[in-house]
Amino acid sequence: MANVTEIELPGLDCGLCGFPSCDELAGRLADKPELLKRCIPLSADSLGVRSAPPTGESTGNARPFAAPVIDATGVACAPGGDCAGCAPAAAVQTETVKTPRVVVGGIGSGIERTWTDHLGREVDFVLDSFPEEVGPREQIIPHNPILTRELDIQVGEVLVGRPLGISCGCPVTHCGIVQSVDMKNCTMEWCVTGPLHPRQNGFKDIGYYSAQAYEGLIKARRIDVEIGRRYWFQPRMCMMQWRHSGLVNYMNHTDDGIQVRIEGLWIG
Amino acid sequence: MSRLIYFDHAATTPLDKRVRQAMDQYLNGSYGNPSSMHWAGREAHAAVDEARTDVAALVGAQPGEIVFTGSGTEADNLALRGVLERAGGGDHLVVTAFEHPAIIETARYLETRGVEVTYLPVNADGVVHPETLAQALRSNTRLVSIMSANNVIGTIQPVAELAELAHRHGALFHTDAVQAAGKVPLDVSRTPIDLLSLSAHKIHGPKGVGALYVRTGVDLQPIVFGGGQERGLRSATENVPGLVGFGRAAHIARSEMGAETARLVGLREELFDGITATIPNAYFIGDRYRRLPGHLCLGFAGQEGAAVRLLLELDALGIAVSSGSACSANHAGEPSYALTAMGLDPIRARGSLRITLGRGNTEAEVTRFLEVLPPAVQSLQTVASHRGFAVRS
Repeated sequence: MANVTEIELPGLDCGLCGFPSCDELAGRLADKPELLKRCIPLSADSLGVRSAPPTGESTGNARPFAAPVIDATGVACAPGGDCAGCAPAAAVQTETVKTPRVVVGGIGSGIERTWTDHLGREVDFVLDSFPEEVGPREQIIPHNPILTRELDIQVGEVLVGRPLGISCGCPVTHCGIVQSVDMKNCTMEWCVTGPLHPRQNGFKDIGYYSAQAYEGLIKARRIDVEIGRRYWFQPRMCMMQWRHSGLVNYMNHTDDGIQVRIEGLWIG
Repeated sequence: MSRLIYFDHAATTPLDKRVRQAMDQYLNGSYGNPSSMHWAGREAHAAVDEARTDVAALVGAQPGEIVFTGSGTEADNLALRGVLERAGGGDHLVVTAFEHPAIIETARYLETRGVEVTYLPVNADGVVHPETLAQALRSNTRLVSIMSANNVIGTIQPVAELAELAHRHGALFHTDAVQAAGKVPLDVSRTPIDLLSLSAHKIHGPKGVGALYVRTGVDLQPIVFGGGQERGLRSATENVPGLVGFGRAAHIARSEMGAETARLVGLREELFDGITATIPNAYFIGDRYRRLPGHLCLGFAGQEGAAVRLLLELDALGIAVSSGSACSANHAGEPSYALTAMGLDPIRARGSLRITLGRGNTEAEVTRFLEVLPPAVQSLQTVASHRGFAVRS
């Protein structure tokens, strides 16, 4: 590597190195040559600008680039008109290069294409939320069930907690809005939501809990679903995009999809 | 509650007082429609022209190459749909897998209209490798869209190399520069960028105003039809106060960029050093230096699942930070696709903390944050025992 003090800095004075000017960075390089790696424009000459314009030149005056021309057939040609730019592209295509393709997760996107979860494991159906609700409906019970009474949990309140252990041990803290409370059994139903709800409305912390049942709609399925059978399924809004398994113990065919209740839940 | 601290400038920025002062005249006195022939219209038209000049200068463009829009998202939509709906079909679009939803969702829409879309992966440092793009380009690739800097991770992309590569293959190049503008030097007169999206509220301007730079000669299909404003590309009576604010914000950002960027890098490094020294299970996501000046993305090994508790705890202390993108906070959802695209597992992709500094932040605020963050992290539940966490994903 050349002596860092002899390297010409880009002259952009962009500040990304932590110094307001290239001169100031240059002045520190003799003592701290490792600072050079902080010069991003120099590291790959690859910001949205190649180099600083000569002193006094307006940045808006240099116009060396022309947009590629699209001809009437829709074939793209490189500027210049000799089609030299098309040749490499054609070569890429004929070499059957495997195009990197990431199927981006998202509502209505990846799962039905592949019928696999984040880890590539097969799923039988996708569990969607009820359209009229704010998120997936679950029946839960705190690990210390008496909390339901001690915290005087009411319908409409926001809770946070983590599903621990048997029945969907998920590492992520969940938030939800209480839909119903069973003070006899200390269970409750909630709809899982995002963090804006506890931020806006305050919350009660139930620590750890177990998920006893999910309810929702099957709108997309790979196989027929029958009551009484255990299936692999993907909750649409699962934060991990991991498949779950469970026993379907209620089915009702509706216009929106097959309404199901699933108990005996496990992740994986 | 002690003084409020705002460390979420990637979500939005407070309006600069100088911007508000510039806008005042057009909120209170000057109300003309720029298309009108009379004195009031001429006054408004002149103000919009001045704003256009300032916004153009921020990215090295000519004023006539700036099309004002209602947001950065609309600018992204106009770029992608404008190019690909102008074409006859059977075209190919390349985007990265960690683009903003304004790009990803538009790409998905275009897929339903017959456009082939390749979603490029990014490397573990959050940078798009030009070789990856080279492999994806085809003879029918009409457009490549790669953001200048990522909104979640903060990494700066090698836009010049990527744009040159796209051009060599005869494709147009668009970059979403909403996060990068005003923080990273961008000069379309020296880089083969054909389309570039901007947003006012990310540079201390008003919300509801954006712009698309359209290189002379690039032919776009409008997506909003009407009276023919903005060269027919974005019909609607111009938001004059907003545009005046955008122009002023762009002028300030351009004139103060070097010094302000250096100051923010200094604060960012102070945060990095402080967190590293006090929270042993902290790990940072994305390239160490190739990142926006005030942007850190990090996680706490073994505690990612409790990120929401940390956000709520910090919020209760008056400190605004975010987890991933603000756009996804309103519903239970999947891990950040931006982080998943980098190869992070879904737990880490779910549990990141994003700290983004801006113009108003001070060293005292950084010091206060470094005082409250370690105990807040320590109070979180861990999913497993602390036994020498790996600090890299």
